[in-house]
Amino acid sequence: MPNPIKPEKSVVTTCAYCGVGCGFKAETRGEKIVRMIPWKEGKANHGHSCIKGRFAYDYYNAPDRVLTPLIRASIDDPWKSVSWEEAFAYAAGEFKRIQAKFGVKSIGAVSSSRCTNEEIFLTQKLARAVLGNNNIDNCARICHSPTQFGLTQTIGAGAASQHFDSILQADVIMIVGANPTEGHPVFGSLMKRRIREGARLIVIDPRKTETVESAHCKADVHLAIRPGTNVAILDSIAHVIVREKLYNEAFVHARCEVAEFENWKALVGDDKYAPEVIGPIANVDPADIRRAARLYAGGPNSTIYYGLGVTEHSQGSTGVMCLGNLGLSCGMLGREGVGVNPLRGQGNVQGGSCLGSWPHVFSGYRFVTDHATRSSFEAEWGVTLDAEPGLRLPNMLDAAVAGSFKGMYIMGEDPVQSDPNQHHVIAAMKNMECVVLHDLFLNETSKYAHVFFPGSSSLEKDGTFTNAERRVSRVRKVIEPLAGLQDWEITVKFMNALGYELSYDNPGEVLDEIARLSPNYSGMSFALIDQIGSAQWPCNKDAPQGTEVLHREKFPRANGLGTFMLTDYVPTAERTSDRFPLLLTTGRILTQYNVGTQTRRTPNSVWHPEDVLEINEQDAIARGLQDGDWVQMSSRFGQIQLRARISERVNPGVVYTTFHHAKSKANAVTSDLSDWATNCPEYKVTAVDVVRIRVPTGTASLEAARLEAAE
Amino acid sequence: MAQTNSPTQGAEMPVMALDRILSMANQIGDFFAPYPPERRAEGIRNHLRTYWDPRMRDQLLQHIAAGGAGLAAPVIAGAKLLQDEAHAKPGYYGPPKA
Repeated sequence: MPNPIKPEKSVVTTCAYCGVGCGFKAETRGEKIVRMIPWKEGKANHGHSCIKGRFAYDYYNAPDRVLTPLIRASIDDPWKSVSWEEAFAYAAGEFKRIQAKFGVKSIGAVSSSRCTNEEIFLTQKLARAVLGNNNIDNCARICHSPTQFGLTQTIGAGAASQHFDSILQADVIMIVGANPTEGHPVFGSLMKRRIREGARLIVIDPRKTETVESAHCKADVHLAIRPGTNVAILDSIAHVIVREKLYNEAFVHARCEVAEFENWKALVGDDKYAPEVIGPIANVDPADIRRAARLYAGGPNSTIYYGLGVTEHSQGSTGVMCLGNLGLSCGMLGREGVGVNPLRGQGNVQGGSCLGSWPHVFSGYRFVTDHATRSSFEAEWGVTLDAEPGLRLPNMLDAAVAGSFKGMYIMGEDPVQSDPNQHHVIAAMKNMECVVLHDLFLNETSKYAHVFFPGSSSLEKDGTFTNAERRVSRVRKVIEPLAGLQDWEITVKFMNALGYELSYDNPGEVLDEIARLSPNYSGMSFALIDQIGSAQWPCNKDAPQGTEVLHREKFPRANGLGTFMLTDYVPTAERTSDRFPLLLTTGRILTQYNVGTQTRRTPNSVWHPEDVLEINEQDAIARGLQDGDWVQMSSRFGQIQLRARISERVNPGVVYTTFHHAKSKANAVTSDLSDWATNCPEYKVTAVDVVRIRVPTGTASLEAARLEAAE
Repeated sequence: MAQTNSPTQGAEMPVMALDRILSMANQIGDFFAPYPPERRAEGIRNHLRTYWDPRMRDQLLQHIAAGGAGLAAPVIAGAKLLQDEAHAKPGYYGPPKA
């Protein structure tokens, strides 16, 4: 008898989970995927993979996958299955009606970092060229928008300065607000390899994460800061570098704006940032701040990797600038082994950032207010474009609550579960007259949607992703789209229904259009990637196969120089009080992915069937809590119920949870504060209290949840 | 179709709640506080001009015209430069210019 799971076909593609973007061979039998094999030639992963990419692929085939378009006039009505033509016509009719009644700017669009570069580019084209406004945003708004802002201000490019393999030349690795062994496991393994070879490790994180201590990994310095004090601690590290003259004067004079360096020295060199002053504020030993500063400045090759623990704060952009300032001051940019590198949460956050799904910039981070840039897009697209920035996603929701914003096209995103202050998001959704949701499943947002376009998974379409090291790799169609259309085709047909004529034979033609309109992508094409496997931007006539390390000779700013921003510490308005004495922070776990839309529909849930609340023993005793007890956690914004786990990973005064499960509703408690520059939500600091409750009725035991997940 | 202007309401309606506008503006002011007054005002102007929807800017300026209660003085100074054509500059990245 033939082996029923023996593959008949193998297609090289790119994993759609985290920002590492591993290459995989997707192997099929008939129209079913039977296994995912890590691709040895993949330049991001060199044949390695994690438990998500390797095993969590079956979601595409989940029984609740929606396979026909749905419409309804009111969110109180049941869904009605319709043809694609009827769904496009209905959604287009509603958007036109709303714009006629409430104005051109009453509608917007949001794309996702789970979409390909081509889809993200098309969604901004839909908003700008077809809806006629710049109300276009993407989910990087709520994760790495401060990266784009903060790094561009200092070093000129909102992207990782290095390729992943660069870490193998590093002597000192500083990880800030990230947990790569869980969140970016394949990169985490590369980091551990370098640590085994003797590299020193500094971790700045409120929680004693798996990166601080686990197999093959132990931090030389762990600054377990109080949530919300990133900028204070980074300024204090800078203070030591300035006062002890550990900076690289030759680099600064050759490569940076010296006057701004002097201004920066005056600010961070002030006594108010001395470790002895900041230590008590951040709840760390001043001697550890000095050790971290000396280690980092001493190199010889020091590199920074950071995550959402830096960005998701009211001073998220300031925190990113601090990292840019540090790299410049110590000359840790422009060669292998050094750098400042964001670890991107989703597979295509970097692409989402690059390709103009922002209300203020076109692809290539060029302002919509700039006449020359706008003209190049107008010439290509044949329409006059709005010269003013549009609304950001949180502003769209604010405007919906106020009544000035009435419709939204949401591609591959679940704002109701993902965005902060869930009650506010739901109020916004309910106030809109037409929400068009384009996704695989009826997610939490679908409860408030009027049109549902059934999308295609990354296994069912062609395109490209840009990973956290700026590497553009091919996403290849492994099986036919289950609902009949690839995502890029859905967006194009929706644009057609709205009255804008355009067509592409394949998404390679969209990438060609991207290349014509975006300097860093000017050399990219399907043909190039098919030929060399992948390419890191900038990819252009000077670097026809791409660029591994940025900033070697100059920074991509007008004068070619790096610069320093003044990064004063401004404490967040979110404070503990008698009523809410604990600080909640959040993170991810190895086996699950973000809000779990995909991984929760796979057997990976056996490993993580529910979100739990980590709490220090001291705080647990003070509340009469035992390990495994159910608790109610309350904030100014709402309350949720989940199980407690007593843990030494969090300090007294800090609690921690993951946000993978819709039923635990972590974002019902998170605050509505956001980054000053980008409105990126402050997910990482919420004042809460925790009280023991009886087991909620109708709650399955943990064991039963595991069994259910395994079935 | 893309260029149709808003025919009816929308323009008169505030784009979002005023307290949201004011708290965002004050946060921007906090960031630029370490810069000397002239650069601080320009930093605030450039940020509002480059990143804010014009309706949000109008709402802020109308509130300033009505007295600007709840706004820090440097924010008012920076926002007012939006109305002064002599201060118009193309958007830019980097430290505020003098």
